Amino acid sequence: MSASTISVPDAASSSVTGRIRSPRIPARLLLLLPAIIYLAVLTQAPFILTLWYSVHKWILDQPDLGRPWVGIENFKYAITQDTVFQQAVLTTLIITVLIIAVSLLLGLGFALLLNRKFFGRGVVRALMIAPFFVMPTVNAVVWKNFFLDPIIGLFDWLLTSLHLARVDFLTSYPKLSIVAIASWQWTPFMMLILLAGLQGMSEEVREAARIDGAAGWAEFRHITLPLLARYIELCILLGTIYVLNLFGEIRVATQGGPGTESTTVPYYVYQTIHDYNDVGSAAALGVLAVVFASLIAAGLLRLLVRTFREGQA
Amino acid sequence: MIGSGIAGRAVPAEQSEASRTPQMQSLVGPLLTLATYAIAFIFFFPILWTLLSGFKTEVDAGASPPLLFFHPTLANYHSALLETDYFDFFKNTVILAIGSTVLAFLLGVPAAYSLAIYSTKRTKGTLTWVLSTKMMPIVGVIVPIFVIYRNIGLLDSRLGMVFLYAAMNMPLVIWMMHSFFTEVPRPILEAAGVDGAGVGTILTRVVLPISGPGLASTGLICLIFSWNEFFLAYMLTAGNAGTLPIYLVRFMSSHGQSLASMSAASTIAIAPVFIAGWSAQRALVRGLTMGAVK
Repeated sequence: MSASTISVPDAASSSVTGRIRSPRIPARLLLLLPAIIYLAVLTQAPFILTLWYSVHKWILDQPDLGRPWVGIENFKYAITQDTVFQQAVLTTLIITVLIIAVSLLLGLGFALLLNRKFFGRGVVRALMIAPFFVMPTVNAVVWKNFFLDPIIGLFDWLLTSLHLARVDFLTSYPKLSIVAIASWQWTPFMMLILLAGLQGMSEEVREAARIDGAAGWAEFRHITLPLLARYIELCILLGTIYVLNLFGEIRVATQGGPGTESTTVPYYVYQTIHDYNDVGSAAALGVLAVVFASLIAAGLLRLLVRTFREGQA
Repeated sequence: MIGSGIAGRAVPAEQSEASRTPQMQSLVGPLLTLATYAIAFIFFFPILWTLLSGFKTEVDAGASPPLLFFHPTLANYHSALLETDYFDFFKNTVILAIGSTVLAFLLGVPAAYSLAIYSTKRTKGTLTWVLSTKMMPIVGVIVPIFVIYRNIGLLDSRLGMVFLYAAMNMPLVIWMMHSFFTEVPRPILEAAGVDGAGVGTILTRVVLPISGPGLASTGLICLIFSWNEFFLAYMLTAGNAGTLPIYLVRFMSSHGQSLASMSAASTIAIAPVFIAGWSAQRALVRGLTMGAVK
């Protein structure tokens, strides 16, 4: 190796830069701190500001009102009087739970199908992952116009061909339409994680189970599922964290409507800041959204840990 | 199998293999494979249909019953690409995606290296903290960012978006590269250290070349996330720094019922992500789970 020829000038230069900077800061921190500081400035600082804004009344396009301190007024209003927000919390919860459930079940099915050897498996896998790559807005645009549209949609054509009544999905079932659109996108996510779990399973364990007489459903229920538990847990946790932020699909497909029927928390925050320029209220809603998400994440974690511990016992 | 009423008892064909005759067993496999093909086709169909519709005339695209065979035309691509400001949005998307990925790497890779090589008692805590910044719901930080960007003139600017997307992707870079770096065999690092190589040399000449595939797939996943990001772009950009997801929303409101041109515009907006995504397939799980699943 020619390492020695490289190392000589480099050792010299690094000691020079070491002296110029601060010799007290070890390399470990020099490498680490820039990223940490950057993240803190761009993610933690804004949250602290969000807290600060949330206790003020501040309308962006009415500077003459000033920014008076209002204490917990914004929170009080959101929680006790703002029916749109209350509904949005419920809608977010319903939509998230359904999306996770549907995509997890479909993802598990797909993963089991893909965990076999067959011709063209790579292509099939690529096709099944594909929806995850589609940007949320295109996803919603395509579904809204090609499939769910009451006049030109393919579902409408299917329904009328079968002599069934015409359905305007996005108006009559806005929540379920969003669930369908988003589940299509999130199924590959679940599938990929569960497939990794299945492929990491040792064939020996399954073999041993088969010799013990476990087959079919029993093998799936008592061998495969418990071994997949950790992966399912990960699917639910990560999926929830991502899906709670769902926005593009709603903006394009329903705009939170009809009325406020498909308005979720992120969508409502967007409206409050973007349409009403109400910094104080939007900040309070943002804080509540963070609390809401943390409660869900913490609750999920405890629930999952308990469920799987019981399952193993 | 027929009419086994209780859902739980409806044993899928494959799983009761053991109790079947050999002839039936040999049928189950191919049938399951066929079913898999059918499901994959149905699942992929929306994308296929969009792709096909982009080559149709407006009349054919809106036809009922839907047309499977038609005379393909490139007119929609031509008009979507050249007669709208598509290219500006495309350029923005490329600049934001590459710019933010480069920035996330410049800061994230050294950090990941530091966490992987000099692991201390606090390493785990630091990694958890990094992850927690990614878990923060975006609505918890958007208001001050909106207000500050508005005040300092970063609203609707590419630079402002690069900063945010870099922050969005940095936890992913740190976690994924940390997971790759911990796999670099220790003796290699020690040998380089004995030869007198400094930290910088070891990182750039020894570790990074070994972690090439990991770097590439991490980069591709960052590109995908930036390319598709919508919430921040929608809140903070307009005509100047808008990206393709924004273009699509605008296009839809102005050409709402023109299915064919909408499909063409959608297809070119998502095509690069498919290329990136399919090339990064192997590392995709690792990226999506922040390195938790390999």
